[in-house]
Amino acid sequence: MIDVVGFLVSWLTLLGIYSILALTLNFESGVSGVTNFGKVLFYGVGAYTAAALTVYLVLILNGFDVTKTPPYSVEGIVALGQLAGQNPALNLALFALSLVLAFLAAGLLGYLLSYPILRVGPAFVGFTLLSSGELMRIFLQHFEPVGASKGLMSIPGPFAWVPEPRARELAFLGVVLALLALTYVVLDRLVNSPLGRTLRAVREDEVAALCLGKHVPRLKATVLFIGSGFTGVAGALLAYYLTAVNPGMFVPAVTFNVWAMIILGGMGNLRGSLVGAALLTLFDRLLTFLTPQLGITVISPDYVRWFSVGLLIVALLLLRPQGLLPEEPVRTPALEELEVALRGGGSG
Amino acid sequence: MLPGYPYSIVNFLHYLFFYLLFSLPLTLSYRNTKVINFAHSNFITYGMYTAVFLHGLLGNTSLLAAAAAAFLVGGSMALLNNIAVFRPLERRGASPSMIMIASMGLWIMYNYLLYMLADVAHFFSRKNFVSYSKIAYSDVPELSIAGFTLSQSFVASMLAALGLVAALYLFLEKTRLGRAMRAVSDNPVLAEVSGIPRDTIVNLTWLIAGGVAAVGGAVWTCFSGTITPQSGDAMILQVFTVSFIGGLVSLLRTGLGALAISFIENVGIAALNTYLGVPTSFRPFLTFATLLTILIASPPLGAAGGLPYRFRRRRG
Repeated sequence: MIDVVGFLVSWLTLLGIYSILALTLNFESGVSGVTNFGKVLFYGVGAYTAAALTVYLVLILNGFDVTKTPPYSVEGIVALGQLAGQNPALNLALFALSLVLAFLAAGLLGYLLSYPILRVGPAFVGFTLLSSGELMRIFLQHFEPVGASKGLMSIPGPFAWVPEPRARELAFLGVVLALLALTYVVLDRLVNSPLGRTLRAVREDEVAALCLGKHVPRLKATVLFIGSGFTGVAGALLAYYLTAVNPGMFVPAVTFNVWAMIILGGMGNLRGSLVGAALLTLFDRLLTFLTPQLGITVISPDYVRWFSVGLLIVALLLLRPQGLLPEEPVRTPALEELEVALRGGGSG
Repeated sequence: MLPGYPYSIVNFLHYLFFYLLFSLPLTLSYRNTKVINFAHSNFITYGMYTAVFLHGLLGNTSLLAAAAAAFLVGGSMALLNNIAVFRPLERRGASPSMIMIASMGLWIMYNYLLYMLADVAHFFSRKNFVSYSKIAYSDVPELSIAGFTLSQSFVASMLAALGLVAALYLFLEKTRLGRAMRAVSDNPVLAEVSGIPRDTIVNLTWLIAGGVAAVGGAVWTCFSGTITPQSGDAMILQVFTVSFIGGLVSLLRTGLGALAISFIENVGIAALNTYLGVPTSFRPFLTFATLLTILIASPPLGAAGGLPYRFRRRRG
């Protein structure tokens, strides 16, 4: 029996999280020209901020001594499992606090990392961010307070007190989609504002933008703060959705997956990112669904999946570089008036 | 006396040779083709796996044969990348960022293709190719100098690196083709106007760059403890930082970069470990700190650079 509702809920939740990543990456790279190959860094920082904050505070507020029963020990994980559903107010408060702190932590990191990469070209920007992400993973693998290579487990979700599993999943899905809508509205307003037009100018020609008096360093720092902040929120949502985080989840391949989404959807088009994220996560879910049916294969389906992500990026750049939805002109009041006038002129 | 003597010194030289083998081709490929190639680490890994497959499936124990095969594999991969992806993109007028993203796509493709190949090879031979141990070759001697025994990999990497440096110098300075290559890297348009076939030079550059990096990978198989399909990627931070010190254009400064990074990673971490108790797994952070310092203190300008912003207070 195929569980259609379960499939839809898990797909839409993943879609929501990945859409936030794709939207922010499109804002940073497609609209503003900051080649961010280190998406996973900010994603991971958000996830670990939320996870560590929640497990430590739940244990401390319930009178545990975290020096004796740390949340990554077996006793800690058992205690977290028992405490998870007892106090709805605490769960929700911690969830809200984590989202805010994940935004600030990832955003500040993005703001700080914009400093060393301001004066160099896209190659250096991409590479510096890529290696920052890898170093974060190496650091997390060796950092004992967040569980080193095992990571943190049994993170109490915001709706852990809801007894019915399906209702719990649906409530979480609602939160994810609400945050996706918030991200979309904020980024859409930014892209179609004077700031968005300036960012496109920076993307096309940095020297020209500088000569027109635009403060390019400050603009890039702003872009990285906003983009990374929302990425951190997506990371926090992932931590609560999976109720576990470990360093193995934050490999560079995650970044490239998001890149494939925005190239598929169309660089510089926010709605395209939603389409790209939807298609790739659907493919992902279907593959996870089909893999057990295949039995033991010579080649792991996982490798085929990642290979096709790379192939998709290369093939799209060669054959359809504008993606499914090409970039649209910025919506300005003047443009809208012009369109109305033209339409009126045509009919009258 | 330096901390960690004599191992830190031996390792310093050892890594210096490997970084020269890996980073010089990267700098060479960027300065001639203006393509920043993230798939560079694939050349290294495929070089390693050419040697591994030859050893595991065919029982080859000659490093010379493995290196020759690796050169062909790496070189043809690089040539294929250029003909199938980079050149069509360039013809269409794609921006450098787009070409860089395409190279990233190639990187993922090659990476997982190798995993698939290792799976298939495992299916036929029942050997574990995803984690392969160090290979002992029969045609590389161990040397004893003044009481020190220099291992096989030390001798092999030294010969390969010094051979590469000498060959590159002679090729670029003394031959007609090498001078044509330098002309293309200095000014592609002017070179083309003067009758230098730019496409041929670019193809030749890719062949050399891919081939040499793969030879470095083949030599690595007699040094590293275990070889995995991620072995090349694990070195990407060091390899790119070394090339960035050279600003991606100067071969001489890339050599100095190899010297600096190898020194920091071996002697530097040994010193920190002895005097401050820093764990040796901290090595990549030291390299990363060097990278950030370079980007802030002396950002590489020119072709690969951005704008020379000055963070100074405006004078009233």
